[in-house]
Amino acid sequence: MSEKEKYEELTITEDGKLMLKKAEADGIETVWDRYKKQLPQCGYCELGLSCRNCAMGPCRIDPFGEGPQKGVCGADADIIVARNLGRMIAAGAAAHSDHGRDLVEVLRNVAEGKAPGYEIRDEDKLRRVAVEYGVEVDGKSTQDIAKELAYAMEEDYGTRKKALTLLKRAPEKRRQIWDKLGITPRGIDRETSEMMHRTHMGVDNDWANLLLHGLRNALSDGWGGSMIATEVSDILFGTPKPTESTVNLGVLKEDEVNIVVHGHNPVVSEMIYQAANDEELINLAKEKGARGINLVGLCCTGNELLMRRGIPMAGNHLMTELVIVTGAVEMILVDYQCIMPSLGHIASCYHTKMVSTSDKAKYPEMEHHEFHPHNARELAKKLVREAIENFSNRTPGKVYIPVEPIKLTSGFSVEAILEALGGSLEPLINVIKEGKVRGIAGIVGCNNPKIKHDLGHVTLTKRLIENDILVVDTGCAAIANGKAGLKVLEAANMAGNGLKEVCNLLKIPPVLHVGSCVDNVRILVAVAALANELGVDMSDLPVAGAAPEWYSEKAVSIGSYMVGSGIFTVLGPMPPILGSKNVVQLLTSGLSEIVGATFAVEPDPEKAATLIIKHIEKKRKSLGLPYNELV
Amino acid sequence: MKSVVVRPERCVGCMQCMIACAVAHSRSKTLFGAIQEHPKPSSRIHIGAGLFREAFPNRCRHCDPAPCYFACLPGAIFRSEDGETVVIDHGRCINCASCAMVCPFGVIRYHQDVFAPPNKVVAIKCDNCMERQEKGMVPACVEACKTGALVFEDVNVTLAEKTAEVSRAASAGIVEGGKEPFNPMNVLNKHREILESLAKN
Repeated sequence: MSEKEKYEELTITEDGKLMLKKAEADGIETVWDRYKKQLPQCGYCELGLSCRNCAMGPCRIDPFGEGPQKGVCGADADIIVARNLGRMIAAGAAAHSDHGRDLVEVLRNVAEGKAPGYEIRDEDKLRRVAVEYGVEVDGKSTQDIAKELAYAMEEDYGTRKKALTLLKRAPEKRRQIWDKLGITPRGIDRETSEMMHRTHMGVDNDWANLLLHGLRNALSDGWGGSMIATEVSDILFGTPKPTESTVNLGVLKEDEVNIVVHGHNPVVSEMIYQAANDEELINLAKEKGARGINLVGLCCTGNELLMRRGIPMAGNHLMTELVIVTGAVEMILVDYQCIMPSLGHIASCYHTKMVSTSDKAKYPEMEHHEFHPHNARELAKKLVREAIENFSNRTPGKVYIPVEPIKLTSGFSVEAILEALGGSLEPLINVIKEGKVRGIAGIVGCNNPKIKHDLGHVTLTKRLIENDILVVDTGCAAIANGKAGLKVLEAANMAGNGLKEVCNLLKIPPVLHVGSCVDNVRILVAVAALANELGVDMSDLPVAGAAPEWYSEKAVSIGSYMVGSGIFTVLGPMPPILGSKNVVQLLTSGLSEIVGATFAVEPDPEKAATLIIKHIEKKRKSLGLPYNELV
Repeated sequence: MKSVVVRPERCVGCMQCMIACAVAHSRSKTLFGAIQEHPKPSSRIHIGAGLFREAFPNRCRHCDPAPCYFACLPGAIFRSEDGETVVIDHGRCINCASCAMVCPFGVIRYHQDVFAPPNKVVAIKCDNCMERQEKGMVPACVEACKTGALVFEDVNVTLAEKTAEVSRAASAGIVEGGKEPFNPMNVLNKHREILESLAKN
């Protein structure tokens, strides 16, 4: 196989292919190399049939029937698979919820005047959310409202409540389903803690009971931790509005100091943004021979900055190592989640400085500089200064930025979508009723070397918009679609006639970027709002979700809260559940009677598109809307 | 001539070889497909537990001469052309278990198999993954083994490596963590000291 061919197998992106070639020449081991070395991966674990929860084990169940069929404690395949899935949900929910907690901490610190550099940027939203939390807003100062809101949100995290506050946003019918099933989430940390308890040896050994709690745990993330994260981020940093920017490695500039932020929490990246725009520091950069400071993002924190400030995006999950290989990056600042521990070592082959910023997240070969609300502003300036000093360490011959950046439009918060629609959901509901737009699909999630990089996202998105389905996207998927040129007005030409007409009329691209991975809750809010407007449940709407290239436990939680909220979700990579026929049956079929939606697994994006199109037409039929009969 | 060589001291009992072997002898050749097939594919390699809970990979040695070959009444067991593999013809097997009775290693099992006549229980044992080797692949168990307990090489090469390891271990003058290099004269001197002090008393 020729050299170019082997990189073509791994990614559909031009900058990815070129950077993989350079990585090989530079002797850099990438995530794809490590994946290959791990093959074949453990069959027991792939099926979910291994358990390491206690010291009577580790146990495995032989799927071929020759070896043991129960663990030492007596757990069978159903229990072991369910326990493992439960813990994945707990881990994912914990990650999102902790992210939310850190933002609430900043909100409290801002209210108490202890967070220089942070402020309330959307006072209106602060008031609206405060009202939802039962906080009296009339005649109160912004500081006081913020303080009480922070207190009320902290309550959502605990043991005192019987139901999370923001569940009120969901339709009555949906809340009744949750109540009847006993899965209304009561406290954000509580549900995760209870999952860890239930999956301890000798606690919940009813696989279906366990999975129901899994749904509750996930819902405590979707309508709890993640939703708080998104709302507080909007309050502190501004609710996103449509904004233009660029994406792919070409956003790095040969003649500027390149600083990359990676990770998830805008608590850090917003401070870096401020420091990168500090006049004194920009002048210092010029003194060092650079034209200026170029701040770009990776992954979700990049998505947050892109949505709110139009900061360009360098890449998604599988590009995070390759961005260093350009040799053009002075500093990467990371906080937490999805940051590969390989980055520090890769950076040591170049002049790139790697800085960890969270007490919760330290990495090999990275310098640690801890950010807290009280020191963030000053520390950000100090680190940007160090990045500027690092500019002279670039090796001129080694810098390789071989692509031109692609334009995209971002910033479609629910508020922004409403504004684009003229202030109400009516126009959107009308075009869906007429059938110009058949329905809405949320394409979300990560990258995974098991799926050709970005192929899953882009292929699925293209097929759906060709079939007049409006696509909203988040996370790594959004970056993939942006790189493929799907987020510009001209992309409407790739859409079917109905969607094209609507996009041209409203001046929106056929694929709307709604944000980072915690911002998946914007999809929940939008779907809930549509359902409320039509007087139906979320599971009645012609909508679907997909995670064509997911890898993380957070994605398991997201998929579970989407399905738990009534949204049919198609996964690309297979989750570790095939070891239990019962669990597979429940998740892919049984759940439809229980929560009105199911999972499906389909790694081929073409086939996944068919599943979603059929689903949407089926929902249209049930609503009495004009539909296509598809076999 | 390459063959599967077992280095049992490296086996950690993960049993990946068993899964890989079963999948390699299935119809679909994928894990997710194999677990749904009827009859279920079976592994030809078996991991046993030793006295100290250590793991031991037990596979057919393709003996020469092979006791199973001589014991087989209908003549279902034969040797491959290259002499490397002892093969069972499932069509001829009458399930009399004579082969298992004489096998000193206990590596023959009895199952229905996807490559045997349907609904017939037959003797199943390792076939050196001949199908895979023809395609230029290594045997499935070797591919799965992460510790090198199962390797695919000329057994003489493996043993030459073992000789090298043993030789290095036997080297005189090895310094280990701050200790003095081993010098036989020290032992003799110490012995003389002890004798002298005993003589004094």
